[in-house]
Amino acid sequence: MIEPVSSAAVIDQRGEPSLELRHLHRFFGRLKAVDDVSFKAWPGQVMGFIGPNGAGKTTSMRILATLDTPTAGDAFVCGYSVVDDPDKVRRYLGFMPDSFGKYANMNVVEYLDFYARAYGMRDAQRRDAIEHVLVFTELRKLADKAINTLSKGMSQRLGLGRCLIHDPQVMILDEPAAGLDPRARVELRELIRLLATEMKKTVLISSHILTELGEICDSAAIIEAGQILAYGTVDEIQRRRHGDSSESTKARALHVRIAAGDNAQSSMHDLEKWLLEQPLINVVQCSVADATFDFEGSDEDQQRLLQNLMAAGHPVIEFHGKTQSLEDAFMNITKGITQ
Amino acid sequence: MSAGDKFFHLADYLTDRLNPILVKETRQALKSRQFIITFMLLLTVAWLISVFGTVWFGPAIEYGSAGRAFFVAYFYVIGFASLFVVPFGSFRSMLNERDHNTYELLSISTLSPRQIVNGKLLSSMVQVFIYYSAIAPFIAFTSLLQGFDLAMVTLFLVMGLLWSFFVSMVALMLSTLSSNRQWQAINTIGMIGLLLGLLFLAFIASTAALSESIPFDEEEFWWILVSILIGAGSNFLLAQQIAISRLTFESDNRSSGIRIIFTLQFWLLWGGVWAYSFRYGTVAVDEDVIASCAVMTAIHWFVGGLFFSTEPDHVSRRVRRNVSRLGAVRFLMAPWLPGGRRGLLLLTIHLLAMALVGRLGSWPSWVQDMITAAALYVFIYVALGSAIGRLGQMISPEFRPAHARVLTILIGALAMIAPYLPAAFGFTRWSNAYSLGEVTNPGRTMMIISETAYGSGSHNLARVQDVLLILTAVAGVALLINLRAMFQGISEMVTWQPNNEKESASATVEGIS
Repeated sequence: MIEPVSSAAVIDQRGEPSLELRHLHRFFGRLKAVDDVSFKAWPGQVMGFIGPNGAGKTTSMRILATLDTPTAGDAFVCGYSVVDDPDKVRRYLGFMPDSFGKYANMNVVEYLDFYARAYGMRDAQRRDAIEHVLVFTELRKLADKAINTLSKGMSQRLGLGRCLIHDPQVMILDEPAAGLDPRARVELRELIRLLATEMKKTVLISSHILTELGEICDSAAIIEAGQILAYGTVDEIQRRRHGDSSESTKARALHVRIAAGDNAQSSMHDLEKWLLEQPLINVVQCSVADATFDFEGSDEDQQRLLQNLMAAGHPVIEFHGKTQSLEDAFMNITKGITQ
Repeated sequence: MSAGDKFFHLADYLTDRLNPILVKETRQALKSRQFIITFMLLLTVAWLISVFGTVWFGPAIEYGSAGRAFFVAYFYVIGFASLFVVPFGSFRSMLNERDHNTYELLSISTLSPRQIVNGKLLSSMVQVFIYYSAIAPFIAFTSLLQGFDLAMVTLFLVMGLLWSFFVSMVALMLSTLSSNRQWQAINTIGMIGLLLGLLFLAFIASTAALSESIPFDEEEFWWILVSILIGAGSNFLLAQQIAISRLTFESDNRSSGIRIIFTLQFWLLWGGVWAYSFRYGTVAVDEDVIASCAVMTAIHWFVGGLFFSTEPDHVSRRVRRNVSRLGAVRFLMAPWLPGGRRGLLLLTIHLLAMALVGRLGSWPSWVQDMITAAALYVFIYVALGSAIGRLGQMISPEFRPAHARVLTILIGALAMIAPYLPAAFGFTRWSNAYSLGEVTNPGRTMMIISETAYGSGSHNLARVQDVLLILTAVAGVALLINLRAMFQGISEMVTWQPNNEKESASATVEGIS
């Protein structure tokens, strides 16, 4: 059962989603590549689509891009069904597959020019669109370069430019950072961030580099064996622990640091003893001046704990929740099932 | 603005109105090594022919018929470029889109499958025109020589151009048939063989035709020419429609266009026969020609019918939405709408029409019997395939139309050889006499029917009547088995109302087993 996180209700107030998967299924014989996947994304949102290899990410993305049809269910882009109105969906959607081909005997401008024509753009509209994309992707100085001589990073920029040429509302990027060097990754990340913040596009992005996704996505869906295991804001997913379900009494890791004075060792010992005596606390791990422990209480309980800690005279200089990274969350939520 | 800028702006304005694929392919082709090599080779070979031909003829060039010989040589050169290089380029062009992962990006643009196919075809034609323009000065040179016949040269160049157009379309169609790489490799080898075969045939035919004067003043010549053009034209449309259907999105209508062209071809053939009979009288039409038309129609409808009648019956919301809201129109259109049940209905209607045309024509009885037998055979085997398809789907949702088609062909092949198995295994003796047990073999039975025309051997009309009786009875059973399905095929289109369809996507989830 998919657990919708609380943010879903908040997000719903943003109006019509620009991207929606509704009970999407895709079977290949007996293999359930996509099994009842549902989620939504809104304009200006960058959504990470995370899952191990063979989880159903690319299949779902291909259905959204009208390259495949669902066995059942439907997906909507700007309100148009990918099954009933694929031609309309294509006007609002830009898709960048994990590997895309390049034509021989063609330079950067000719490549963009062809796709602008393919999207029905003419005259000044086409020329302006090409110019805009060249500027946005910083490919202006490579305009006359043959596309099959471009580096991987520049090719990805060109691919992104191709997606943008018809100014789509929704962009689907399948592993756009794969094979890029660190600098190219950072540059691509900035471009993607600009797409959402400045151009108000909805971006659905899949990647194996979860630290990077954590930095650019404001929401994420984790998929495994064709099913969505978690879906919500990145912050909420990072705070989730495997098997937890109650919003008010979530187990969370908390971290305390005390002033390292002359008798730090004794202070630390006192703190450890004190923590172990408190209700709702288990597994206390201490180092020289830090203690990390699992706390199973509500926000009010956490507030009381801090008050009591101060009242007990411990020299606290830091007290905060220790959130797991998206990578930790992914490892906790997924079970390593392969199909 | 300079003249150069004005020119580029005008070119830009004009190319904006052209098919984007045509613009892209032409840009690529003109820069490609293949085009440059072919163009240079063409010029070099034509130049060598001119030089060595002139030396070879010597003074005879002034009074002999050197013009025709030179034209034949130049025609071979342009023929190789336009009938082999260009069609193969069309074929590779579509395969390359798949090989280089560019097709997917193309298919999610707003270009329609028709634009993609036509763009590829037109870019091939641009190349052919460039090759023609390269050879034009050499052909102009032949006009200065004796033996040059302007009408003949024009006819050959135009026919060569149309043939190139046709072969390129077939090549494009074949390139859309296989997406699997192994099949593509086999397909490519087959394509090279096919193109070389067609080129060889074209050369043989043109050499034979060029050795004689063309009877432009005879009416029969024009009948044959028009028949060839109509036949090639309709098959061109069929190949184009198949290619478009192959590239069409799954939930769209991939079938109706092909069905309409199949229908058109059927009526063009028999309409042509009737027009000729009307012009010259039925007796003027050769019996063998009519019998050949019957066999061609039978093959035509067997292939088409097997595909149409085994299609999945589900009609997508998208297709339904585009069908007329008037029940009467949907009723009349039903046989041309997608779905196996309606495909069988389309086949039945046309086989009935074929049998009726055969009976109405005042041809000899053996011709009428052959037309009837051909129609019955096609109906029996295709109806069997349709029933297998429906039964297979009931047993397992993984049973695909291709399975039904292959099974039908295997059963048909087995039925053809089954009567001879006892003799092959030594249980009975081989006999040349036709037995009713051989009725499952259409080839042998049709041959026997044609032999009754000459009253040969043990074959007689009484035996043919028995064959027709058996075939009619079996076709009747096949009709009964499929009648309900055909009725459902019509009724589900006639009774369907747009408002009945739940627009919610979740409604389709129940379709999963």
